[in-house]
Amino acid sequence: MDDSLYIGEIFDMDTHRIGLGMRIKDLLVPGLAVALLISACAKDPAPPPAPTGPTAEEIAQQRAAAAAAEAAAAEAARLKAEQEAAERERVRRDRAIAEARSTLRELVNFDYDESAITDQAEQILRRKVPILRNSPSVQIRLEGHADERGSTEYNLALGSSRAESVREFLSGFGISGDRLTTTSFGEDRPLVSRSDENAWSRNRRVEFAITGGTIVP
Amino acid sequence: MKVICLLIRRWVITLVVVSVVIPIESVLAQKTDSIPGVTLGLLYERGYQPALAIQPFSGRLGGETLASQVEGIIARDLRYSDRFEVMDSLPESLVGDEIDYQFWDQLGAVWLLSGTLEGAGDGFVLVLELHDVVYGDIRQRGRFYIRDEMSSEFRMTVHVVSDEIVDWIFNEPGMAASKIAFSRRTEDGNQEIYLIDSDGENFHRLTDYKNLTMTPTWSPDGDRIAFISRKEIGLPRIYEMNLATGEERIIDPDWRGDHITPAYSPNGKDIAFSVTGGKRSGIYSYDLELNCCLTHISGGRWDDISPTFSPEGSRIAFNSNRLGTAHPQIYVMPFSGGEADLISPYLHGQEGYYTSPEWSPIGDYVAFHGRVSRRGRYHILVAEVSDQGRRLRQLTWEGNNEDPSWAPDGRHLVFVGKREWGTGLMIVDTATGKYRMLLRGLDVRVPEWSPSLGTSELGSLR
Repeated sequence: MDDSLYIGEIFDMDTHRIGLGMRIKDLLVPGLAVALLISACAKDPAPPPAPTGPTAEEIAQQRAAAAAAEAAAAEAARLKAEQEAAERERVRRDRAIAEARSTLRELVNFDYDESAITDQAEQILRRKVPILRNSPSVQIRLEGHADERGSTEYNLALGSSRAESVREFLSGFGISGDRLTTTSFGEDRPLVSRSDENAWSRNRRVEFAITGGTIVP
Repeated sequence: MKVICLLIRRWVITLVVVSVVIPIESVLAQKTDSIPGVTLGLLYERGYQPALAIQPFSGRLGGETLASQVEGIIARDLRYSDRFEVMDSLPESLVGDEIDYQFWDQLGAVWLLSGTLEGAGDGFVLVLELHDVVYGDIRQRGRFYIRDEMSSEFRMTVHVVSDEIVDWIFNEPGMAASKIAFSRRTEDGNQEIYLIDSDGENFHRLTDYKNLTMTPTWSPDGDRIAFISRKEIGLPRIYEMNLATGEERIIDPDWRGDHITPAYSPNGKDIAFSVTGGKRSGIYSYDLELNCCLTHISGGRWDDISPTFSPEGSRIAFNSNRLGTAHPQIYVMPFSGGEADLISPYLHGQEGYYTSPEWSPIGDYVAFHGRVSRRGRYHILVAEVSDQGRRLRQLTWEGNNEDPSWAPDGRHLVFVGKREWGTGLMIVDTATGKYRMLLRGLDVRVPEWSPSLGTSELGSLR
């Protein structure tokens, strides 16, 4: 039998039963201190019945334990701060990528029956250029659209001319034409399904579909 | 008593005749749209149309119940041919069982059809006689195989008879035995190919690709249809479908760009189409028999689209925006390559938007549609190729009208008509200016009229 089994045992004279050292147990506070205290008491073959308070040694041990806990907490906080910083950086980067993606995907509109790049379209296209330069792996499909007026077949050609205009514009800024493919949906994929000037002007457009590569913001 | 009977007959027949000749749209609507320097107008041959009467068809050996249905199909086909005043559906009590030339002559009939439908094997034989009422004699007699009414080809075998009657009388091709292919916007926002018979019956869907599938075109034998679809590689590609077997092939899918607006050569050996996008845009032809080899026909930094062959196959008409994207024009050039001639009325500095050419199967006429005024209305126009756009026949005067396609008779055009009531397919007779609705109230696109489908396989047993 192990000595430790006797520690804190109390023999009850009335009931002739042996109980565990409840009072000692009552005094024990943090989990770490319990182990230290038990091992310290184990050396004493005849423990004093029911100690009335922590010894100096116990206090020191408690302090040490508290200090260790504090250090652990500080380490955890440092890690957390690091993670949060990384998370903030990740969020910032994601946001920058999302912004870059949204800049890349911002569509451009055209005048009625025309495929020339308008001033407004030029501003939008210029904003795409630095992103395309920074992200050389990104590939884009330029999707041309026409409004519902005019012939179905000719509107396929008109959408194609618009997509070609955009490709030529971006090529002029040094973006390789190989990264830019074109297709036309003619009048068959309207953004706005109405028959008025507002709907027509919004439906005359080139959309930018990112078909491959990684965006570097 | 006989006199009263004759009077009643006359009265009934006058009603019948008068009720069939009123055109849907008044062709005399005001001509406010004009193109400077171009004669634009009605050049109809408003000629005499002979009256053709139909003696009620009789039936034998099981053909009794179907005889009047066959007669009805033929009567409507002949009316739709816009070549006759058709007198039919007269009560048998007035007409009698025997051929009475004097009776029909008094009614003003020039031609008289009589027919007997006899049960024969798994179908019927229609014994048809064409009588010359004035001479009181039989002019032509024919026996035609009619499929069982449950067969999907029943109506087409009857239409073949109608075209034969036109050939008997005018020695010209008819257009009853034909179909029209077109695309239609579906509920999911896509386009699918549909078919309808020339008389507006048998409307059904051909494709179910849930994609942008459109601009169908017929092979010269009517056995195949080519069209564009984005269904496989996300770019428009040319597909060819065999209508009998449903087999399909894709034409040269790896060639870069969008592939659009296919058209068969008249011998069915080549298919021409446009490639748009990139430096290699233009019209190409592809050898269907060798299943290879794209040949460049025309093109440049602009778009050349919608090729259409002349009847002999040596020339093509097409649409090009080489004068600017706002000024598409119609050109003609040799299929073997060479210079392109403008045939739409372009005047420098003037507005002009002409697209969707289709060369008539008979003669040197190209139909297309154009924006003929600043009001932005689109109308159907026909140009004579040799005339280089100096004179145009304008065939529509109301609403918006697009994408004409010639019937195999080289006389009727089907087109997309947009009116206040909606969009539909309309047919105009270029000889008389008469209109007819084919399909009403559907969002239809780019119809293409088939060649005559009265092939020897379905045709007569003379």
